[in-house]
Amino acid sequence: MAVRQTVRVRVNGLERVAETDVRRTLVDFLREDLGLTGTHVGCEHGVCGACTVLMGGQAVRACIMLAVQADGAELLTVEGLASPDGTLHPIQEAFREKHGLQCGFCTPGILMTTCELLASTPSPSTEEIKDWLSGHLCRCTGYQQIIESIQLAATRMASDQMVLSAQ
Amino acid sequence: MNANPLSELPQHQLPISQPRYVGQDVPRIEDPLLLTGRAEFGDNIHKTGMLHAAILRSPYAHARIRGIDTSRAEALPGVAAVLVGAEVKAQSRPVFGIPEGWTGHALAVEKTHWAGEPVAIVAAEDRYVAEDALELIEVDYEPLEPMVNALEAADGKGPVVLEGKDTNVMYARKFTFGDVDTAFAEADLVVNEDSRWHRSAGNPIETCVCIARWDPFDQSLTLEGSHRSPLLVMPALVGALGLSPTQIRIYTSPLGGSFGVKTFARYVILLSLLAKKLGGRPVKWTEDRIEHLAGNSSHAWDRHHNAAMAVRQDGTITAVRIRAMDDFGAFGEWLGVGQIVKPITIFPGCYRIPAYEYDCAAVLTNKVPQGPYRGFGLPSHYWVLEQLVDLAAEKLGMDRAEIRRKNFIRRDEFPYTIPSGNVYDSGDYEAGLDLLLEKADYAALKEQQAAARKQGRLVGLSVVTSIEPGLTGTPMLGLLSPRMFSRTSSPEGMALRMDGFGKMIAQVGFPWGGQSQHTFVRQILADYFAVKAEDVQVVVADSSTMQPGMGPVSSRIAVALGGAVVGAAKLLAEKLGRVAAVMLEADPGDVELKDGAFQVRGAPARSAPVPQVAGFMLARADKLPEGVDGNPEVSFVWNPPDHYLADEQGRSHYGVTATSAVHLCMLEVDHGTGQVEILRYVMVDDCGVRLNPSVVRGQLLGSLAQGLGNALYEEYVYDDQGQLLTTTYMDYLMPTVMEVPVVEEYEQCTPSPVTSLGQKGVGEGALHTTPAAVRCAINDALHPLGVHIAEAPATPFRIWSALQAAATSP
Amino acid sequence: MKPPRFEYFSPRSLSETVAILAEHGDGAKVLAGGQSLLPLLNMRLARPSVLVDINRVSRLDTVRPHGTGGVAIGATVRQRSLHGDPTLLDRLPILGTASQFIGHQQIRSRGTICGSLAHADPAAELPALAVALEAEMVASSASGERVLPAADFFVDYLTTVLEPTEVLTEVRFPGPPAGMRWAFLEMSRRHGDFALAGVVAGLSTSDDGSSIKAARLVVFGVAGTPVRASAVEAALVGQPPTDSVLTDAAAEATRLLDPPADVHGSGAYRRALAQTLTVRALQACRESHGTAEPAT
Repeated sequence: MAVRQTVRVRVNGLERVAETDVRRTLVDFLREDLGLTGTHVGCEHGVCGACTVLMGGQAVRACIMLAVQADGAELLTVEGLASPDGTLHPIQEAFREKHGLQCGFCTPGILMTTCELLASTPSPSTEEIKDWLSGHLCRCTGYQQIIESIQLAATRMASDQMVLSAQ
Repeated sequence: MNANPLSELPQHQLPISQPRYVGQDVPRIEDPLLLTGRAEFGDNIHKTGMLHAAILRSPYAHARIRGIDTSRAEALPGVAAVLVGAEVKAQSRPVFGIPEGWTGHALAVEKTHWAGEPVAIVAAEDRYVAEDALELIEVDYEPLEPMVNALEAADGKGPVVLEGKDTNVMYARKFTFGDVDTAFAEADLVVNEDSRWHRSAGNPIETCVCIARWDPFDQSLTLEGSHRSPLLVMPALVGALGLSPTQIRIYTSPLGGSFGVKTFARYVILLSLLAKKLGGRPVKWTEDRIEHLAGNSSHAWDRHHNAAMAVRQDGTITAVRIRAMDDFGAFGEWLGVGQIVKPITIFPGCYRIPAYEYDCAAVLTNKVPQGPYRGFGLPSHYWVLEQLVDLAAEKLGMDRAEIRRKNFIRRDEFPYTIPSGNVYDSGDYEAGLDLLLEKADYAALKEQQAAARKQGRLVGLSVVTSIEPGLTGTPMLGLLSPRMFSRTSSPEGMALRMDGFGKMIAQVGFPWGGQSQHTFVRQILADYFAVKAEDVQVVVADSSTMQPGMGPVSSRIAVALGGAVVGAAKLLAEKLGRVAAVMLEADPGDVELKDGAFQVRGAPARSAPVPQVAGFMLARADKLPEGVDGNPEVSFVWNPPDHYLADEQGRSHYGVTATSAVHLCMLEVDHGTGQVEILRYVMVDDCGVRLNPSVVRGQLLGSLAQGLGNALYEEYVYDDQGQLLTTTYMDYLMPTVMEVPVVEEYEQCTPSPVTSLGQKGVGEGALHTTPAAVRCAINDALHPLGVHIAEAPATPFRIWSALQAAATSP
Repeated sequence: MKPPRFEYFSPRSLSETVAILAEHGDGAKVLAGGQSLLPLLNMRLARPSVLVDINRVSRLDTVRPHGTGGVAIGATVRQRSLHGDPTLLDRLPILGTASQFIGHQQIRSRGTICGSLAHADPAAELPALAVALEAEMVASSASGERVLPAADFFVDYLTTVLEPTEVLTEVRFPGPPAGMRWAFLEMSRRHGDFALAGVVAGLSTSDDGSSIKAARLVVFGVAGTPVRASAVEAALVGQPPTDSVLTDAAAEATRLLDPPADVHGSGAYRRALAQTLTVRALQACRESHGTAEPAT
């Protein structure tokens, strides 16, 4: 087996292929090889959550996965949330409205976790929100406005869903 | 929209009948880029041909370097250069610091001073290879006995950290204000306590990043990265490298948090030297987390306190003595030592304390050097002071809220000059306390506590206060070195330009850092000229184009940048007004700006909208009045009013605004585990006019969470060989959402009479207050057992140990 | 913080996996969820020359019923299954209860159950649960399969009886004793951190709740491996589950522990924590029977 390998992933709906070192972490692969710098590096030992992306719909730490482990996977990063026409995703919109971010460095990871949370639990309780959010360190906000942002996003997305199903 | 507090303000300087943005929760300019992953943080920057740096660090706290062999590293494919201490010494001076003479070079030269000190730096094709190369560098160390005990360092015992010095005491000074001795001699009661505040730090989630490029033809240096303000980095570079400022250009990226740490002068110097060796190739260093925890001068406040308070029988506080000895680690880098003197700027907090003594010292040990951290040395001060107040109340049988009320500076006493010279601009501390007690239902809480105690539960209550100085000026740093720092200026500048459509570009000198500073620049300007928010763009200047300005330090943004924005807007309005006078055929003195148009006083029908005036100014050079150029652009540099150099006693007008806070904490201590559960947390704060209430709220809640970390969780732990044991986020414990309580928030608004819009600084406040609130509440909980905690963080183990002492004492 | 160089194998079958392990032996390291291994690699504290990624090995990702009321869990089953897999939730709900203490959602979506067992961090939850529930470990190598009781599996801090040529392919939890009520408690500095001390306790009592029929007691985080208090379990049988009996049992179960000190506290503290948590866990087991403490 070689020390380099071709990694093929589907990121934000697009097929991406790059040859990379087998020791490269997934977050370095996303940032350096694919140019997707919205996913941030915070601690590189799986504690802070800044690098969280969705793999197969599940929130994972991209700093403690190897890129080669993601070969063949479906990934979603923060760049995949808003529409190309500039419309923010309802989760992003809620964070903006509720001031759920300050420096914004931890935010992409938190948005990705929120995506999975609201996909699996459309009306989460505060306790459920906190349980999911506990895998992220935010040093600016003290978390309260993040919780409020997620609650707002949940309410909005649930009512959007109702409108959709009514149609 | 809410009722706008500004409309009530006599000094409000916005020429608009009804402000639409200032005072409102305006969405932030910063957010769309941040939310979509497009904000260009430092580590995103990529340059053609760019190399990546990694740093070899000393495994020993104190060791002589007998030799370094870099040959194997240099031979590794992909490695471009290796730089070692001898080269750094030949090409640069030691890192800047005040007081002067207490730092080392950017790389260790003859010896290493802490475990984690940089010893060599490698530039390679990528970071992986650079780290491979580090493993190939062979350093011959002769371990020396490390100095790890600050108390011994203060007493002149043990090894000396810095070569060429005969002491580890870097700074020591006793400040006395008022007749402290007499007050203690005549006191009805003296309470005292020794306390220990352990090291903690800001730990932004983004680490430090610097990209350096040396142009060998132009002999110039370009830096980019997570620098919080070019003005703060430039002097360090000029001093260390012997370059002219015209040879250096610094660009700043958005900051993923700073909390004081994003100056990192040592590393900026180091990268610059490495870049010089690379002959034109850019090189990037992105600090990794372990480097941040163990290698950067990011730790703060490692303090031993002895404190005493003199009190009269009626609860009047007559004097306070505090001795504070701070273990600064290996060097006194940059402005960090200022943290030990800052307490004199707000020493008595909210109270009328006529006499106090502050005996402070900063000593060196073989630990990570300290650097600035949000609060700049005040949190541990209130943590000591407020505990003394509680001790006095307890001994006198007074309620904790009432003893505070008795000693408060009263609302009719402002502006109030404290004995150490600082002037508090305005406040109403008693009203804040009343609001807190009412909202928290204090009487009911006391009953709940009494009932819980009957069941044997350890439930505690606290009510504590603090003052947050809205910027602390440079005279404070003059206390460290009057020769190097005879400054009274603490500038914040802005350039403001309008185009022919009336759209504005405001240029500030520093990047985003979470404080939403660009948003409120937009809010103020849009209201000033009555344009739409999106008609105002905010851009970041680099070191060559910026106005003098210090950027986001010392809770100064609302005050200083707020002053700069209004100052620049006024200048622009004056300039446009002279042109409008031509257009309106009126005397310039009769023309005023109101609701977005210039009008003739007394004849509002004769008016010209601002864009029209700007367009005219650009288009009709032939009509410009004498002395007005055809450019609707101004610059303005704000400085704190009335600042002067400290007198011989150490008195000065150090601040501008005084934000007050009062917090209530109710918590329960688990008998069996020593764990603390917060049951209620209520806070009231008064930061004057809130330019953007949600932003203020974020500052308060965020600094509260950091304060909670200091109170209960965060600590850098060393062993007896000077090895840092908490080098990962598995060991250095910052609060997650599970640890931070839901806070009940209430606000007061006592506008500042000295700022542009009545606002006060509010970046650090809750961090000043929360550690004291938690400490006092824990000790109230433990009170029935006769034991006490005087350490921060109050870890479960420390609390459990106190409980064990209670169990074994008769 | 970047991993050192290594060779990477991603076998598709178990036979291929064990063949690689047989060839590379000591220098090889199995990569499953990687939530403990990758941080160590990033810090260069782990230096394998070969990484064998078993995530693509077929048939290791299943949870299946095992015996009466038990489950068998394959090597690549994620920790999330503990609170999401219907078979697991139905048969061993105590695992679901305990799983909320394992890191965070984002960790449990990658981290595997078998990986945590093979990593053998004594402060981790799953090794203690495996010992308390008398799980069996299935270790595979080129020379075949060994089935090891959990009690014999853990040797010391981060050390098991697994040979370098072996991979843990399955853990089998037998159905727990009928009528046993479980409690899982741990104390960590923050939610999701490794435990300073923890306990898995199980009690079954007579129908009227007046006497203990069987007990299980394992403390963890306080020694190199999870510690089962077998003698205390035996001594509890036939006793009434009074506070004093449970308190004495906890004291006895933790009396001989000598945990090491760390940055979070002294050894004595961790022993005291284990004792406190044990009392609370046993009381929780008793209370969950729905009977009040019998009068004494």
